[in-house]
Amino acid sequence: MKEGKSVKFKLQQQQQQQNGHVSPFKFAKLLDPEASWDKDQLGDVLHWIRQVVGLLCGLLWGAVPFVGAIWIVVFLILSSGIIYGYYAIILKIDEEDFGGHGTLLQEGLFASLTLFLLAWILVYSLAHF
Amino acid sequence: MATLLSGFKYSDSLAVVGISICTAFLCEGISWILIYRTSSYKSLRSTIDKASKKLETMKTVDKPSKKSKTKKIDRVETSLKESSRDLSLSKLKSGAVVALVLFVVFGLLNSLFEGKPVAKLPFVPVSIVQKMSHRGLQGGDMTDCSMAFLYFLCSISIRTNLQKFLGFAPPRGAPNAGLFPMPDPKTN
Repeated sequence: MKEGKSVKFKLQQQQQQQNGHVSPFKFAKLLDPEASWDKDQLGDVLHWIRQVVGLLCGLLWGAVPFVGAIWIVVFLILSSGIIYGYYAIILKIDEEDFGGHGTLLQEGLFASLTLFLLAWILVYSLAHF
Repeated sequence: MATLLSGFKYSDSLAVVGISICTAFLCEGISWILIYRTSSYKSLRSTIDKASKKLETMKTVDKPSKKSKTKKIDRVETSLKESSRDLSLSKLKSGAVVALVLFVVFGLLNSLFEGKPVAKLPFVPVSIVQKMSHRGLQGGDMTDCSMAFLYFLCSISIRTNLQKFLGFAPPRGAPNAGLFPMPDPKTN
């Protein structure tokens, strides 16, 4: 393997990758369709995008407030749409290299759903009662 | 601060969230002491990472047409499965301690907020979820949220993201990380 040999904690691993074969992680890469993606890196990026979308939607839904289970569906469609749009249109990656649409869209889905519900319920309960 | 918080009708929800954030940090701390800092965990982890990367390149770069290559892939796969089984075994000990902590905290929260709606749901949950979200509550208002549901949401979202953030999340390369490996349809 081209990477380092010993300890493999995340940060160290990223540093090793920066010194090694994978290009250094930059924010410009997030929007660059030419960039090459590691499976782990792409998964992490998609995970965090989903969490941010979940948190923002939760705060927004709670502040408005939106009421009704239909808004959970709206959130799921919106967040999956953002993820799909991100990897298919902005990054233009071939999803087959990363395990298909299912794997990519599943990344961080449950965590973001619970985060979204938590933010929504908290803001709704605290701000409107 | 306390007077400001008590101005909210559902200020208890903040207490539940605060307690579960502290618990999540505590659990990760325990796991770090018991496993993540040990050298056996680190070496297992690096073995798994290496093996899964190797497997990936073998599968994508070379077409597994020859018999020798298929055999090689099989060997790497078996060692990967063995390592991930060892990894989950080593996690058992800290898992038990963490489960105990979670259990104690849940009991504490239960005694603090039993029978009290801690939040208001902005939707009516389906009947399976209602069992949890309306657990121990009086009255027929299904939008009342019990502590159990809020605690569940907190523990899932906060722990998953905390583990991810700290880099303690289970490695992606080991699909059958459980103790009871299931056949993976994708690899076959």
